[in-house]
Amino acid sequence: MRPVSRALAAIAATAIVVGACSGATSSPSASTDASPSGGAPSASAPAEQVTLTYFTFSAAPDHLADLDAIVQAFEQKNPNISIEVQTAAYTDYFTKLQTQVASGSAPDTFELNYENSVAYASSGALLDLTPLASADADFDPSVYYPKAYEVFQADGRQFGVPEQFSDVLLFYNKDLFDAADVDYPDASWTWEDERAAAEKLTDAANGVWGHFQPIQFFEFYKVLAQNGGSFFSADGTTSTFNDAKGVEAANWLIGKLDKTMPSDAFGPDQDSALFKSGKLAMWHTGIWLFPALADVPFAWDVSVEPGNVRKAHHFFANAVVASATTAHPNEAWAWLRFLTSSEEAVTVRVDASWELAAVADQSLFEPYLSQTPPDNRAAVFDALADIVTPPVIEQQSQMQDIVSQALEKARLGQLSVEEALNEAAAQVDALLQ
Amino acid sequence: MVELVRANSLAGTGTRKVRWGRLVSRTVIYAALTAGGLAMIFPFLWMLSTSFQSAGALLVPPPQLIPSPIELGNYAEIASAFPLWRFLANSLGVAAVATVLQVATSAMAGYAFARLRFRGRDALFLLYIATLMVPLQVTILPLFVEMKYLGLVDSYGALVLPAIASAFGTFLLRQAFLGLPRELEEAAFMDGAGHLTVFRRIVLPLAMPAIATLAVFSFVASWNSFLWPLIIVNSPDLMTLPVGLSNLQGRYATAWNLLMAGSTVAVVPILIVYVIGQKYVIRGVTLSGLKG
Repeated sequence: MRPVSRALAAIAATAIVVGACSGATSSPSASTDASPSGGAPSASAPAEQVTLTYFTFSAAPDHLADLDAIVQAFEQKNPNISIEVQTAAYTDYFTKLQTQVASGSAPDTFELNYENSVAYASSGALLDLTPLASADADFDPSVYYPKAYEVFQADGRQFGVPEQFSDVLLFYNKDLFDAADVDYPDASWTWEDERAAAEKLTDAANGVWGHFQPIQFFEFYKVLAQNGGSFFSADGTTSTFNDAKGVEAANWLIGKLDKTMPSDAFGPDQDSALFKSGKLAMWHTGIWLFPALADVPFAWDVSVEPGNVRKAHHFFANAVVASATTAHPNEAWAWLRFLTSSEEAVTVRVDASWELAAVADQSLFEPYLSQTPPDNRAAVFDALADIVTPPVIEQQSQMQDIVSQALEKARLGQLSVEEALNEAAAQVDALLQ
Repeated sequence: MVELVRANSLAGTGTRKVRWGRLVSRTVIYAALTAGGLAMIFPFLWMLSTSFQSAGALLVPPPQLIPSPIELGNYAEIASAFPLWRFLANSLGVAAVATVLQVATSAMAGYAFARLRFRGRDALFLLYIATLMVPLQVTILPLFVEMKYLGLVDSYGALVLPAIASAFGTFLLRQAFLGLPRELEEAAFMDGAGHLTVFRRIVLPLAMPAIATLAVFSFVASWNSFLWPLIIVNSPDLMTLPVGLSNLQGRYATAWNLLMAGSTVAVVPILIVYVIGQKYVIRGVTLSGLKG
């Protein structure tokens, strides 16, 4: 009993000390919590001091300082508005956002990826920006890359503005290509060219693999499009990804395994490790990895991805949106507009390699395009010529899981590709009912 | 030992068979326990190992368990580039306050349910215990709304408040109080003591092992809690360690060595509390049949 009471005493002592410290520091943060009430538009009362909250997943941990620079530039131009930034990791972001929105405490402005933006818009959680945009005399939608602006429209309403985009390219190790005497990939390549090159580049004795492409939902809908297939029927009521084109597309992903593509690279960052150690010749991955590959000890470059029937590239876009419940729609619009299209914000992003602002003016990207490697940075924009957005339904994450699990079963040989896709199609159809 | 010697001297075939059988079953049990132990400790070792690797070394296949060279910079970096101490202090403060308050409320409620007679007592107790079946994920939204009306969103108060009353703690201490001999209390009542005196002077000291168990459980639960602090707190100044650490995960790439260095720091206080209270945790599990 002695040691227990001693332990308890220690705990109690810590509680008192720490409690006292934290008590002292809690008061200032508690007082900043109160959000200003009253929905008076700033146009009629420009002097009113307004605090807007902005919740983001793309800033932490690497770009907090960059976001801060954008916020400061905005606050300088709009002295009556201050922006309060809240961050969360991508994996936890939507849990938190959902609770806040559902309880009526949504942040004034926040970030959404494409798939979620569709779901949030249809649930009525987002402010319709159309009237704000048309009332804003010096706003011109053509400042954005047109497709990027359009994807955030539904039922004639603009529910978000495009903040940034990424795409996926074919990364390749030039040294391995030179050593195997294979021509570098170019825009004319098809799957067949990639397969032939991968066979020549694979060198099992030295642990060198020809190519790597993840086998999951996001790759599947893209290769399906490359193969001329479509995920859903035209009216969106049934799955069509299990037709002959779909099977061929899934076979393209899975058929490479253990022949020219390593099957043990499916852990977190394993593909990255393989490419960085010079053991992977071609790699289908995102342009967000440019900075991570800046110092690798070999020459590398990128190319647009090979297609089959046609070309298709990912378009991962994030939008910034305003909550339908914000008390300050005008200020929110000003902030969203500044954050996505102002020269200051675009420049900060470009300089920090923080994805790419979705603006149309290519001259703003000059500093980005002139950086090497890769030499062929222009491929980032070339890829935009034929982008596909992911299929979106209400039960998005369930659908993604179903498709990814079917591909996993086919990858592990538990089911044939046809069986796996048929099973997944039946499950997805059930979701659509 | 004596038995062994006697068995040896007798040296009959029957007893030898018994001894062999025991040896084999012992070996199997120990082998299984060792395998289980290794499986349990491996993630910890992996975390520790990763926290001492450089970012570059992590990416070279195959993965190494023993880092070479040993990189101490991760700890320095996480302490300087990241408000580690602030998060640590928040976690400690919240866990300590929540633990003290939870033990206090659970002891009082447990005493009431164990010793006071009032109408509907058992029904009320059953209802209270039934709330153990409702997971946090279900109550989190109403809880958030409640905090909003109390004006506590994004405050230390909101981190502590939901933890101060615990059905599990009340149950654990009620069971412990029921196990105490009533005669002691009756003697005190004879001497003119009231409930408060009996509670403070007799019941609490006698139930110390159960109280220590609850203290360890509730400290660990508060320390590990992630979902609630994630949702209720927005300011970095108020974040607890698990929430702060989660912000180290990037969308596309994560500095695992830094994250694991932070996680190692996060595990140390728990280890200390556990080592101190180990005996009582095990007793608590056998007492209640529940794991905290």
